[in-house]
Amino acid sequence: MLFNSLTFVVFFTIVVSLYWSLRSWTTRKNLLFIASYIFYGAWNPPFAALLFSTTALDFWLGARIARTQATRARRNWMIASVAMNLSMLGFFKYGNFLLENFQWLLARIGVVYQPPHLDILLPVGISFYTFHSLSYTLDIYRGVLQPTRSLRDFVLAVSFFPQLVAGPIVRAGDFLPQLVHPPTRRNGRFLWGLALMTLGLFEKIVLADTMLSGSADRIFGYAGPLIALDSWVGVMAFAGQIFFDFAGYSTCAIGAALCLGFHLKDNFRFPYAAIGFSDFWRRWHISLSTFLRDYLYIPLGGNQAAPVRAALNLVIVMFLGGLWHGAAWTFVVWGLLHGSYLVIERICRSLFEHRPWAQTRGVRVLTAMATYGAVCIAWVFFRASDFTIASRMLGGMFGGHAHGDAILSTREMLQVAIVTLGMVGAHWALRETNIETAVTRLPRWVVTAAWAVMACAIILTQGNSNAFIYFQF
Amino acid sequence: MFFARPDEIAPRDHERPIPPLPWRGITVIVLLGVIAATMAWEFYCRSLGYGISLNDNEDLWTTARRKVKPESIVIIGDSRAWFDLDLDEIQNGLGKRPVQLALPGSCGYPVLAELAHDESFHGTIICSIVPRLFFAPPGSPPVNRVEKAVRRSHNQTLAQRASEYLAIPLEEHVAFLKQEDLTLEQLLVRLSIPNRPGALVPPRLPPYFQAVDRERRARMIEACARPGKLSSSIQQIWLGLFTPPPPPTYIPRDIFGAKMQQAVATRFRDITAAVEKLRARGGKIVFVRFPHSGGLKELEDRETPRAQTWDPLLQSTKAPGIYYTDFPELSTFTCPEWSHLSAGDSVEFTKRLVPHLRDALEL
Repeated sequence: MLFNSLTFVVFFTIVVSLYWSLRSWTTRKNLLFIASYIFYGAWNPPFAALLFSTTALDFWLGARIARTQATRARRNWMIASVAMNLSMLGFFKYGNFLLENFQWLLARIGVVYQPPHLDILLPVGISFYTFHSLSYTLDIYRGVLQPTRSLRDFVLAVSFFPQLVAGPIVRAGDFLPQLVHPPTRRNGRFLWGLALMTLGLFEKIVLADTMLSGSADRIFGYAGPLIALDSWVGVMAFAGQIFFDFAGYSTCAIGAALCLGFHLKDNFRFPYAAIGFSDFWRRWHISLSTFLRDYLYIPLGGNQAAPVRAALNLVIVMFLGGLWHGAAWTFVVWGLLHGSYLVIERICRSLFEHRPWAQTRGVRVLTAMATYGAVCIAWVFFRASDFTIASRMLGGMFGGHAHGDAILSTREMLQVAIVTLGMVGAHWALRETNIETAVTRLPRWVVTAAWAVMACAIILTQGNSNAFIYFQF
Repeated sequence: MFFARPDEIAPRDHERPIPPLPWRGITVIVLLGVIAATMAWEFYCRSLGYGISLNDNEDLWTTARRKVKPESIVIIGDSRAWFDLDLDEIQNGLGKRPVQLALPGSCGYPVLAELAHDESFHGTIICSIVPRLFFAPPGSPPVNRVEKAVRRSHNQTLAQRASEYLAIPLEEHVAFLKQEDLTLEQLLVRLSIPNRPGALVPPRLPPYFQAVDRERRARMIEACARPGKLSSSIQQIWLGLFTPPPPPTYIPRDIFGAKMQQAVATRFRDITAAVEKLRARGGKIVFVRFPHSGGLKELEDRETPRAQTWDPLLQSTKAPGIYYTDFPELSTFTCPEWSHLSAGDSVEFTKRLVPHLRDALEL
């Protein structure tokens, strides 16, 4: 079920009405549990069974880890949980990718092998709910979380419908405590949640789908060489599209959860105002970057390792982060590029950080522009379906196709330019704050008008039901 | 630095701040404003001549596809079959209510192939032929559009199905719900901003000029059926859409030409195979060339002459065909916007077409 669909409007209205009319906290949690499985099953009912079985298994494994005293045995139970989750992810998401690469490797040594193509349907949101569930057993293993006694609570923590299929990656440790007591009454929470949902839908439907996706799709789908202007406009359109698409989903999820009295953390913090790549990753898909930090980077040695080892750790983490997004080498290259950016930044910082000129406004602005440019270059690999397209795009962006084609209309270029300038400007204006503070500072009439305009624009776009980009991950 | 502050675990008591504003008052004003703006937009759209019509999207197509029974009469192809065939008249003449699966601006082959592949289907297919669409190469918009609909009919989720059931009653009461004409995107497309010289910008698509009902029967609206600004502007849009685009700059002309020829040859072979497969199960098919007029007819006759398209199609498939110009009673109609019949003429045309369909299908 998509947030931007009529079905969700009806579903959410029914769920919220029932939820707040029920008195018993247990009954309310049961309602959310059932609603979340209806939400997920509306895509493909059998996958709801898969979701439940893996969650239940993690619940059991979490209890085993907590009950076991011996370090080695605890470790084995934790490894069992990691193996179970990652093998399921591997089978559904990377099965064909692994087979194809295995075939390619055999061909390199002269062995002709034709593997069967596995007709595997990817369960929607598997990358997200696997991480939701995995965080539970890992936190119990690390001794920072007590297992819950309620299977229903844990299942609800993993499958809570606002964040189930495309994040944010809400850790069980952040959500389970909220299931202990019913939310207290709080003025404005519900309506602020609705306002956030409107903002999220506006970002997705109006900005991502209406203003930007057409240009990005045309540029990346064009089979011939493009001139530099069109190539850059197409890449900037995608940079904006993916931000508004994913941040829009996260904002909707945060808003929907607030309407039900739950608090989810920010997943984005104005990333296109980042000064440097480490800053970017503190602002982009925060729930994933912190997940990778806590469960991968730090166990690998983190910053405490020797400089070369720490740099290698960064590259490993970003390599896996890239692969998490999709079973294709283009995603790997995207991750490796970001890993390299982080390493280069680390070297530059060690050389120049304490120089006076490094802290001047001009250098900061230039660094921010360079960050945005480099992030856009990396997006080419994220969006392109293969390396032929990626190399053609890069060729166009860097003047390799002086006699290439121009395919964007003036209107499309204006749309991309206006939205991109507005987006980057807004990110800079809000860089050091958050949406709540910004809204509090605004005059009331501006908040009212902005909410009304966003709602009208959503109605005007007629809520086309394009899937969110991150659903495919 | 990235991961520079390896804090342990995020605080468990994280609670989002709520901006301290009078949210109830704000919400009431927003609601009233949105309701007023929506009503104003609805009245304005109606004043411009927009009437009630369903959005002809892949979900509506899927709903129609589900109605196909093993012995159904199914209409496939492009918008001419969509506009020009009256379902009541076909039911009166052939004894069964047909299922309308023709999609505007699309190639009929993917639906033909899908029906031929459906082992349960052994009914009758009425297939409209507009050569430029029917022989469009794989990956082109006419093929992509129909393939998207076919895919949706196979993969439609429960949520998508529910959304369609909820959308239909809304669309039957609200005039501004027109996905192909009154969305923000379409309103932006209509802005007349000049393009760069040489920019390969796709041609414009026609504005709203038809009403679609739950059976996907399309009827031309009155404003288009009479001579005027709307019909003449659509005529010019057809000329742009039906004029072959220049070959791509990045493929040598001879190679591109050879590829196109190969694509057409492949399409002929695939159609023949699909028709044979259908016939082997007792199914029937008839190809129909529907009326078109004026400059568009001249353009089609010049670019896709009958001898190179229609005649070889009938020869290779050995299927019956009805070319409207072969029959005086079918040739007397004029298409107001050069490509489709008015709602009134479509009823009369279908009435006259039915005897020919009966003959061709040996009913």
